[in-house]
Amino acid sequence: MRVSTSQFYHQNSLQLTNKQSDVNEQVEYLTTGKRILTAKDDAVNYSTLIGYKDELRGIEKYQRNITQAQNRNSLQDVVISNAEGFMNQMKQFLIQANNGTLSVTDRQSLAELAKDSVSQLLDIANTQDETGGYIFAGYQVDKKPFELQPDNSVLYKGDNGVREIQIAKNINVELNQSGDDVFQKVTNYQGDFSASYTTNTSGISLDKALITDRGAYDAVGSPPDYTFSFSSATDLTVTDSNNVTVFTTSSYVPGQTVAFNGIEVQVSGNPLPGDEFDLTPQAEISIFDTLKAALGWMNSPTIDGVQHAVDYKEILSQLDNSMNHLTSRRADAGVRLQLIESQDNSHADREINMAKAQSNLEDLDMAKAISNFEQSKVALQAAQQSFIQIKNLSLFNYL
Amino acid sequence: MSINLYQTGVSGLLAAQQQLATTGHNIANVNTEGYNRQRAEQNSSPGLYNGSNFVGSGTFINDVVRIYDQFSYKEQLHNTSKLGQANASNSSLDQLNNIMSFSGQALNNSIEQFYQTVNGMVDNPSDLGLRSITLNQASILSADFQALNNNFDQLEKAVNGEISQIAGRITDISQQLATINGQILTNNDLSVKGQPNDLLDKRDQLITQLSEYTQVNTVTDKNGVMTVMIGNGSTLVAGTTALSVGVTSGDPDPLATKISLYGPSSTAQLKPESLGGALAGKFEFRDEHLKQARNEVNRLAMAISGKLNSIQAQGLDLNQQQGQDLFTDINSGLLQAARVLTPSSNTGTLTAQVEIVDISLIPTDEFEVTYDGSDYVMTNLNTGAIETLTLVSANTYSSTQGFNFITTGGTVATDDAFIVRPSENSAALMEMVLTDGKGLAASSAVHITPSANNVSAGTMAISQVYDPVNARADMDMSIEILESPPGTFTYTVTDNTGTTSAPQTYTPPSQMIDLPLTGTATFQVELKGMPSGLAPNAPEIFSFSDGFGVGNGTNALALASSQEEGILNGNSESFTQSLSKTTSIIGSKASSAELVANTAEALHTQAFNRNQSTSGVNLDEEAANLVKFQQAYQASSQIISIANTIFDTLLAAAR
Repeated sequence: MRVSTSQFYHQNSLQLTNKQSDVNEQVEYLTTGKRILTAKDDAVNYSTLIGYKDELRGIEKYQRNITQAQNRNSLQDVVISNAEGFMNQMKQFLIQANNGTLSVTDRQSLAELAKDSVSQLLDIANTQDETGGYIFAGYQVDKKPFELQPDNSVLYKGDNGVREIQIAKNINVELNQSGDDVFQKVTNYQGDFSASYTTNTSGISLDKALITDRGAYDAVGSPPDYTFSFSSATDLTVTDSNNVTVFTTSSYVPGQTVAFNGIEVQVSGNPLPGDEFDLTPQAEISIFDTLKAALGWMNSPTIDGVQHAVDYKEILSQLDNSMNHLTSRRADAGVRLQLIESQDNSHADREINMAKAQSNLEDLDMAKAISNFEQSKVALQAAQQSFIQIKNLSLFNYL
Repeated sequence: MSINLYQTGVSGLLAAQQQLATTGHNIANVNTEGYNRQRAEQNSSPGLYNGSNFVGSGTFINDVVRIYDQFSYKEQLHNTSKLGQANASNSSLDQLNNIMSFSGQALNNSIEQFYQTVNGMVDNPSDLGLRSITLNQASILSADFQALNNNFDQLEKAVNGEISQIAGRITDISQQLATINGQILTNNDLSVKGQPNDLLDKRDQLITQLSEYTQVNTVTDKNGVMTVMIGNGSTLVAGTTALSVGVTSGDPDPLATKISLYGPSSTAQLKPESLGGALAGKFEFRDEHLKQARNEVNRLAMAISGKLNSIQAQGLDLNQQQGQDLFTDINSGLLQAARVLTPSSNTGTLTAQVEIVDISLIPTDEFEVTYDGSDYVMTNLNTGAIETLTLVSANTYSSTQGFNFITTGGTVATDDAFIVRPSENSAALMEMVLTDGKGLAASSAVHITPSANNVSAGTMAISQVYDPVNARADMDMSIEILESPPGTFTYTVTDNTGTTSAPQTYTPPSQMIDLPLTGTATFQVELKGMPSGLAPNAPEIFSFSDGFGVGNGTNALALASSQEEGILNGNSESFTQSLSKTTSIIGSKASSAELVANTAEALHTQAFNRNQSTSGVNLDEEAANLVKFQQAYQASSQIISIANTIFDTLLAAAR
């Protein structure tokens, strides 16, 4: 084919431009180490790549959240275990105070020691985090949740709010336990009712009073409190607050189950005629109420009498129940920490996979890139050299 | 006899001279753009009858012609148009690809950072520092949207500038062509041989330039005058009359400029898609690709603003007030009005606006709403789908696309049309409007506590809060649910005055309940499952209490989880997914445009080569010709010299 001179130069310059832009492109890939610089470089995989990147950033975010969740739950773990320690002390004081050889003053000085434990426990319940928020106040982190009243009772001013944070897609984990849950809502070891003894000459005590059939339990028709009156060791009458008899028997056997209105009651001890107590609904007893009762018992001037022993037994049992409750709260935090850790591990695994996938898509195969670069370089050199050679091939040189 | 020899010698000399001149002309024009090589056509002079023989009498130059193949030239012209279009598309799309890839990444990052700070607020809702950082990130996010939108604006402006430059250039070329036509007309006396080669070259060169901008068709008449048509046959140059091409602002969108052909007495609008060449490339880019990208980004800005604002409104800020808008209200008067463009051709005076109802349904398409005399009929300009808008309340017409068309005044005339762009201006006007970090509504208003005695698998959750402040005032409340007889569920609501409502029916598996039952509803709960209860004495009980607390981060958690929620395109795409989808679509367009440009380049090179192989100047060939014609010149001189010698011999013999 006939080749015109300008075509020859045009072609050559086009070739050189193309080769140069090839080399330039290869250099760009090499210096960034990336195969995909803009969406155009691999439009098919670009969405996937951004998906991986988003996922990785999501994991990073979750890991930050996990750190927070870990800190907060470990703090609870530590704080509640401290609380358990003080409860233990309290229990020891109580057992010590039950020693019959102790005088009233001895017991009262023990009570003073015990009071310290109570106030320390109160401090624990009012623990603040690094930002000054009360950790057991529910949502009311700016208010001191537990206030000691003059009568040794403690008022809860927080709420039952629980904050959550995302630690994985669709997995939220709790950051706090409300003071309500930790210190207030201790189940009554006796069940759903507590007893207040009007006359107790025999030393009977309430073992269990449980609503076993909520469907049958009619708090409107037969409202509590329920009064248990023993007119003899075998004659028991139970009346509701309207003074209507809800249960009566003339063959009461000590320890038998008294069932009425969906409630089952067991009383231990052999009743004497005239013994009487009231059942008041109380499914949950605050730790601080139990402690107040314990302090009251230790301070009590009367140390003899059957009622004193009954009270001791009830307080001690409820104290044990409170300690179990704290342990279960601590376990709760522990379970969460486990969940968090397992999520953390799964994030770490996923992170490795994602990073690998991202790198497969995005990162340059250096060996290949360098060989491509060399190739383009050689091609450019060849084009340049052949241009130099051919440009001298003019007939005019020989004229 | 010898006199003939003289003449023969002189004719050779003259011919060689002309040939040398033509060769010189070729050599001189070796680098002239659009030059076609010329050749002096040499013929032998007819012989003179002498005795019984015809004796040759020399030579003459018949014509100086340009070596020109109109078919390969037309092929080159066609390919130049294609290349012009491909290059225009490619360069613009490449730019857009870069903008989307880099600004898109920046936007992605700022979305990510914003949500990071929101997560910090979830963990510690009372920290004012975290709150103000969240606001900072929010303002960076809106600034990034604005920056991206500015980039689009710049790009649009640049494309419009290029279009108007091209229009100016076409007008120039048109005038030059008319002038050349005029010159050719005066030069070209048909009785005279030879063509004004260099004028023709010049004209072809202009046509080539023109073909880069638009598709060109030419017809040359017997006088050599060329009629030039562009696009689908609109005459640009007719003889010596040059029409001009100008840009007019678009209607109803002034930035969607149009291109028109202005004649002495008429004006015709040119259809961009039929123009071909760089013009078609530019128009296609502006009206399709750029618009699409812009709509996607606008919609994303709208979705983020709308979603975050609506979550804000469901919660309480640190001042115990309902959360105010974080970003500009997506249904602000300004934005609503901007979504409807009214063409000046409407005969009625109706003004209208568009209100967004459901972000998840909003498409990125453009619509035309036409009044057909009784109804407003909406046509999707991208898909062609047609629907009749339904009147839902006074002046409000609802569509199935997640927005309402609202008439705001004036009267409508039949066939009046309105262009609707549902997400118009969302990115440009997106601004962070919350100034105080305390205003971030991290706290929820209502807290639900299921009774510890609940026995069955029924759940209750807040689905929406209409008025968080009054919802708090409506506390405490409780709902009791019971299944009695089996299969029939009823619930009663006890309000904050202790009044218990009459039993209401609940139909499993789930039901939305607006609370309180009487008066204005302040929040809505979703009751789910089979909350059967035990007996009238022991129903399932859910208590509602005031949830506000400085440490309540429930609503902040809702803000944080909107990051991964599918919101756009029928609740299927999260914010970042939508953005990366848009980016990769632009990327794939850019990469196919590059491919098309490479193919066009190759085709153009082939056509160029073919044309050059016929018409281009080859210096080696010209060098050979120089020698050839020089030798012919020398030889012809020798003829004269010999004629002279012969004459001298004759004179000497006679002496």
